[in-house]
Amino acid sequence: MGKSAYKNMWAYIEHDGARAMDVGLELCCELRRLCDRSGDKLLAVVVGSLPDGELQRVKDCGVDGLILVNRDERMEYNTEAYTEIFARLANKYRPSAIFVGGTANGRDFAPRCAVRINTGCTSDAIELEYDEATGDIRFIEPAVGGKIMAVITIPELRPQIGTIRPGTFRYSPAGAREKVKVIDERIELDPASIRSRTLSFAPDSAGPELNIADSEVVVCVGNGLKSADGLDIYRELAALLGGKLGCTRPLVDREILPYRLQIGQSGVMIKPRLYVCFGVSGAVNHTAGVSADTFVAVNRDPQAQIFNYCDYGIVGDMDEVCREMIRQLKARKAQ
Amino acid sequence: MLNILVCVKQVPDVDLVTMDPETGNLVREGVPSMLNPLDGNALEAAVRVKERYGGAVTVITMGPPAAESALRECLAVGADRAVLVTGRPFGGADTLSTSYVLEAAARMEGRFDLIFCGKESLDGATGQMGPQLAERFGATQITGSLLIDEVDIERGCITARRELEGGTAAVEAQLPCLLTVEKANFPARLPSLKGKMAAKRAQVKVYTENDIDGLDPKRIGVPGSGTVVPEIYPPKLPEPGQMIDEGGVEAGVSKLLELLSAAGAI
Repeated sequence: MGKSAYKNMWAYIEHDGARAMDVGLELCCELRRLCDRSGDKLLAVVVGSLPDGELQRVKDCGVDGLILVNRDERMEYNTEAYTEIFARLANKYRPSAIFVGGTANGRDFAPRCAVRINTGCTSDAIELEYDEATGDIRFIEPAVGGKIMAVITIPELRPQIGTIRPGTFRYSPAGAREKVKVIDERIELDPASIRSRTLSFAPDSAGPELNIADSEVVVCVGNGLKSADGLDIYRELAALLGGKLGCTRPLVDREILPYRLQIGQSGVMIKPRLYVCFGVSGAVNHTAGVSADTFVAVNRDPQAQIFNYCDYGIVGDMDEVCREMIRQLKARKAQ
Repeated sequence: MLNILVCVKQVPDVDLVTMDPETGNLVREGVPSMLNPLDGNALEAAVRVKERYGGAVTVITMGPPAAESALRECLAVGADRAVLVTGRPFGGADTLSTSYVLEAAARMEGRFDLIFCGKESLDGATGQMGPQLAERFGATQITGSLLIDEVDIERGCITARRELEGGTAAVEAQLPCLLTVEKANFPARLPSLKGKMAAKRAQVKVYTENDIDGLDPKRIGVPGSGTVVPEIYPPKLPEPGQMIDEGGVEAGVSKLLELLSAAGAI
């Protein structure tokens, strides 16, 4: 079947039964724009029961329709179930594209589903474009450690599947359409096909400092950091500014900080009010993950690319500048 | 006796790859290749399972002939057998076609109870290979595994912890199961002298496109890929921000805090 037989774009709305995760709503907002260009309808796919108020929030993002799968049932995440549900839906409705939030679970089932229905899958695009000439989506993302931007397309197979990191697109609801079509879908799975189960869930004991996605202020350290011993002053500065500490990939590779603190395209996307980074080179895969109202960069190399992304830059030794910031901030507070 | 497979990839050190500003091509010459770091953690997880429950570890990769060195690295730290899948027609493959080829080649080596992969590669970083291979093998999957609690050979299942947003889940999955591995609890071990010697002597089995049963040429390499990269370009740099140069750290920081304060940022 030719690709022109496939129409409409889908956004998967991940939720916990009570609340829709932001990433699904962000996807709807971005896809609204894309569908306006392509002429496709935008449908949001919800699996399992979700309160009406939350469904309204999805509608407010400008979707043309909702596909509600087993809406009266509590549907916990399960790899086999979600892979099969999306494979069946895709085969039945033949959407042109399916977008899935790049969460742990989204990244778990979306690629698997792509193989089941034999199609292409991309991950972590930071920009989406619609190519009128080909009818393909252009998934644009930094590649090779941020050295280049790569345009990825799925030129023949359908649906086009993409996982997108939370925080990549802005939540800016366009308002509900006058008519929103609601499709009720009932999918029964063979119990024998479910071969794994979640036994228990333990919330992070490590504490809130590992959750930097919503932090108002973020202090970030990069590969310029000499050793793990040098981290204390950056933690102190973050605390003084009322924020949290994050890092770039090399510090995770060096096992100085955990992956959960990695800021960037393949880590956490952040939107802080104030962002202050030290010893960060400015590779695109990092900067793509930062959308800050005020962006401060400190680096010893005046040519560092990070200065192209900052509002204010200081050339200097990162430790020295950090210590001086702590001293002066303390002095200001004492006044 | 568990039959264990570890899928690995040789990657360039991406931090050393540069882009030719004239041609826009990536300059890979002289850039050293290495075993994808998370694949080293996956191998460690596999070797620990072997040491605890008994079994054999086969390591497999698809890549150019030089990828053999990544396999020998694995043989030096606990892998028992190594398989290299190599051939021009495999080149340019995305995860859709690579997973197809790897599963077909692995099938030549028998049935596996457990399959391990790194969570993602350093260069592609899609994290798609694990789930896609699991689908090809008809295996269950536990992605983002932080630790392995137990392999219950009698019941034919494995229990492991999965990293999720905001916490960890304990998941039980029937064998065969594919696990993608996070680094934290599986630091790669250093090879012993004995291990290095054995790795040097070991045979690496090589499969080309002609050696794998039932391989469909339309599903390998570029023709078998779902995705293409029609265009690459250098990232567009924004205009530099305001540089603060007050002739000293103290004065510079003072100026910065003044500006931040005026902007309402602090």
